[in-house]
Amino acid sequence: MSKPSDLVQGTLDLLVLKILALQPLHGWALSQRLKQVSGEVLQVSDGSLYPALHKLEQQGWIRSEWKPTENNRRAKFYSLTRLGKRNLEKEAANWERISTAISQVVRLTEV
Amino acid sequence: MRLTNWVYTLPLRVRSLVWRKRQDADLDEELRDHIDRQIEENLARGMSEEEARVAALRAFGNFVMVRERTHAAWAWVSLERLRQYLLYAFRSARRSPLLSAVAILALSLGIGLNAGVFTLLNAMFLRPPTLHEPASFVQLCPRYSGWFTGADQNSSFTTEDFDAIRSRSQTLDQVAAWQQSAALPEHGSTRVNTLEVTCNYFHVLGVDRPLMGRLFAAGDCNRNAAARVAVLSEPYWRSQFSADPQIVGQTIHLNGIPLSVVGIVPADSANFMMGGVILPYTLQTQLDHSRNLLASPDTPWLSIAGRLRAGYTRADAQAELLAILSQQDRAYVMRKISAFNRKTSLVLTNGSFIENPGNHDIVIGLMVLILGPLALILLLACTNVTMLFLSRTIVRSGEIAIRLALGVRRRQLAVMLLMDSLLTVCIGGVLSLILAHRVPVVIMNMADRGQSDFVVLLRPDWRVFGYLAILVIAATAISALMPIRAAWKLDLLTALKGREGAATVRSRTTTTLIVVQIGLSFVLMCAAVFFGRLPGLIKGIDPGFETHHTLAVPLDVNTSATNRAKAVAFYRALEAKILAIPGVESFAYASLQPFNQFPPSEMRLPGQTKGSGQPASVDHVSTSFFSTFGIRILRGRVFLPGDVTSPDASTESVVSQGFAERFWPGSDPIGKSLVTGDDRRLTVVGVVADTRSERYGAIDGPRLYTVRSPTDVGGNLYVRFRGNSKPLEKAIRDAVRVLDSTQVVAPETIWEGLESNAEQAMSLARIVLAMASIALLMAVIGVYGVLSFAVNQRSREFGIKMVLGADRCTIFRSVILRAAKSIAMGLLFGVALAEPAMLLFIHLLARSPLPVHSVDVTVFAVSAVLLTAVSLSAMYLPAARAMRTDPMRALRTE
Repeated sequence: MSKPSDLVQGTLDLLVLKILALQPLHGWALSQRLKQVSGEVLQVSDGSLYPALHKLEQQGWIRSEWKPTENNRRAKFYSLTRLGKRNLEKEAANWERISTAISQVVRLTEV
Repeated sequence: MRLTNWVYTLPLRVRSLVWRKRQDADLDEELRDHIDRQIEENLARGMSEEEARVAALRAFGNFVMVRERTHAAWAWVSLERLRQYLLYAFRSARRSPLLSAVAILALSLGIGLNAGVFTLLNAMFLRPPTLHEPASFVQLCPRYSGWFTGADQNSSFTTEDFDAIRSRSQTLDQVAAWQQSAALPEHGSTRVNTLEVTCNYFHVLGVDRPLMGRLFAAGDCNRNAAARVAVLSEPYWRSQFSADPQIVGQTIHLNGIPLSVVGIVPADSANFMMGGVILPYTLQTQLDHSRNLLASPDTPWLSIAGRLRAGYTRADAQAELLAILSQQDRAYVMRKISAFNRKTSLVLTNGSFIENPGNHDIVIGLMVLILGPLALILLLACTNVTMLFLSRTIVRSGEIAIRLALGVRRRQLAVMLLMDSLLTVCIGGVLSLILAHRVPVVIMNMADRGQSDFVVLLRPDWRVFGYLAILVIAATAISALMPIRAAWKLDLLTALKGREGAATVRSRTTTTLIVVQIGLSFVLMCAAVFFGRLPGLIKGIDPGFETHHTLAVPLDVNTSATNRAKAVAFYRALEAKILAIPGVESFAYASLQPFNQFPPSEMRLPGQTKGSGQPASVDHVSTSFFSTFGIRILRGRVFLPGDVTSPDASTESVVSQGFAERFWPGSDPIGKSLVTGDDRRLTVVGVVADTRSERYGAIDGPRLYTVRSPTDVGGNLYVRFRGNSKPLEKAIRDAVRVLDSTQVVAPETIWEGLESNAEQAMSLARIVLAMASIALLMAVIGVYGVLSFAVNQRSREFGIKMVLGADRCTIFRSVILRAAKSIAMGLLFGVALAEPAMLLFIHLLARSPLPVHSVDVTVFAVSAVLLTAVSLSAMYLPAARAMRTDPMRALRTE
């Protein structure tokens, strides 16, 4: 179903943080970027992005702001907080460590 | 890290709780914006409008679920749910306003009474006296062992001990001492409580600012030249001197001593202050001629408290003071003042009554006895509330069943019902604060005539609020228990079908509720009947001697060897003056006072060894004692003036009937010999009737009378007279004053003493009576509520019975019979509760003259009859309603 597994949920947070670290984005733009960078590998529905976004906001890692966009519309833009930046570094390092470990294990079994 | 997290997120969470609606709208807009943008994108890719919309929605996923999951990310979900429950509880309370009001009222009454009385007890017993830095305040409580009886005893300090502690202690910065006493003011006949204190007493207590004038200065306590000064407590000044602003500098008289008032100590300066008039302790010898405690090397009389010097702990002080006291002990034993091989141990307390080892047990007992019945009232209130919730739960059983069927967990349901009762209890608790504020004042006014002597500062502290919180939590839990059980046990299938088969379960519940209510109120009824009877008991007794025409004249004469000649002259002159007063028939001396308990001494038959004798009370009386008291002579003779040849040499004795029966059952006691505890040999010359002079209405134990020489001094003086007592009291008072201006006496007949005791018992009885009436009222409401509920639930059953041919009387009888069975069970339950309470009470009153017997059947019987009558009348209405059940209507609901 549309509920991502725990691993993916964890990585989803990381991806969102990473993307927002480059520039503030609104939800739709963020989902487009996500698809683009992950090369459609992550099979998550667009909607499941929002609980993740709101959870990150409640945790104080990102903040949101309504801003006007093209032709008289407005959208909710998300940006990284200082707390989020610090956590991104930590999570990224974490990910680095785990993924290396896992890929090493996987390679080991292939031999 | 966690903290910074909270700083960030707290406002967000609060916002999501408070501005819910806006948050919701925001989220909706955000999600719609996403879908719109996706549609535009799809259109741009060349899809048709319909295709673009469907594809966008598909990619988005379940809209409702996304929204719900985002909600869950927002705030404390559980808190959110609590809010809903509370709202729900509020709504259901509003739906039945009358019932809710009754429940809230009952609860606020219950909680308010409890909290109010606790505030009073807290101020009197639990709090340290000082308001200023209580942590450094210590009271020293000594305990003596090594007494020849082998028993340890809590004691106070001798003057020497106080001097040693004051001069040698390094851990205590300031050491103060005091003695509680009482003295007769100039024209009054009731004593005022006094506090004889060292001159730094107020300072140690943390009181440095008088309301007026000054407090004591160091010079006031000079042992060689005690200053005749006094400080009045504010309430005493207000009540006795009508708040006279010119009081400072005026002279008042206590026990005939002129004292100059130097200041007023404010009422709110200490948690409690035990005297109306505060005097330098050096005045003790002048106020009490009979004892010079100040110079006595072995009479403990002073209580001591001090302030810890900065840097020292209580343990340091304890170690140091123990060392000082063991030096004192050694010096004491070396001097061989008495046979007492003194060994002192010491406890340091915060100065509250309850921490004093001498009071600890009795205070605990008192608190249990006072708070116990009040807790019962609260329990009664809780059963009323239970009833309310239970009926609500049953009425809502259909709705609850639907909730359960839709997947609400039973635990959530329980929390929901708990919130229901929490809301009610909290409202009741808040309302109760008004009562809690008023109750202590009302009780103080009701119980205490001399309120101005013992000043208690009623100020709630953490203990009071803690107690209140415990009450609220307990009340919530107790009143929610039954409804939760009912909801828990709800049978889904039958409830959904709208037919309930659980009638038997419910009837057990209603029986339990009635039993509990009857039982609880029975205990309170017993207390009320018991106390209500006391004044009558005290006044209605026949003590076996004359009370209306016998005056007690309390004298306070220094009879020590140095002053003996003066004392003898005073007594003989007084006797002559009293006999000259018209109306006086005779006077007599006795060593025992009526309605006071004295330790008995050992009496042996000749040939018995020491320690194998029997206890008997010994009254050392003058020859005219029996005629003055009007005690009947049964056999032989009483004392004659010729019996006394020289002091301590007479061997004649008179025994009471009880004594004769105990020592020589079945034989003639006249002429028999006896040996006293101090090895004097006595011969019995007469037998007199038993009296009831130790406890009200109870025959005294074995009693022996010995005769005193007419040249003796001291003892209690009694005067027998004819006619009206008032002029005689005044004449004797004047006679004493003419002989010795420092003697102020307030003679009163034994009957007047009894009356004032009865009055005290009455004021206590009034409080208990008020409590019991409240309990009874709650029980009546409760029983009525339970039974109406039960009758409503059984209306279908009654309908069927009627259709099958039962007449209305049968229905009525069946309801009343079942209820009567619950009443009987409730009474049994009540007896089971009341008995241990009674035993505790007797234990506490062991040394008072109140006539309390182990199990008072009369009290139980009267309470049972009263309670049965009241609860049966409460049952009449519901039973009558059951009788009027319309079978057609009852069955149509099928």
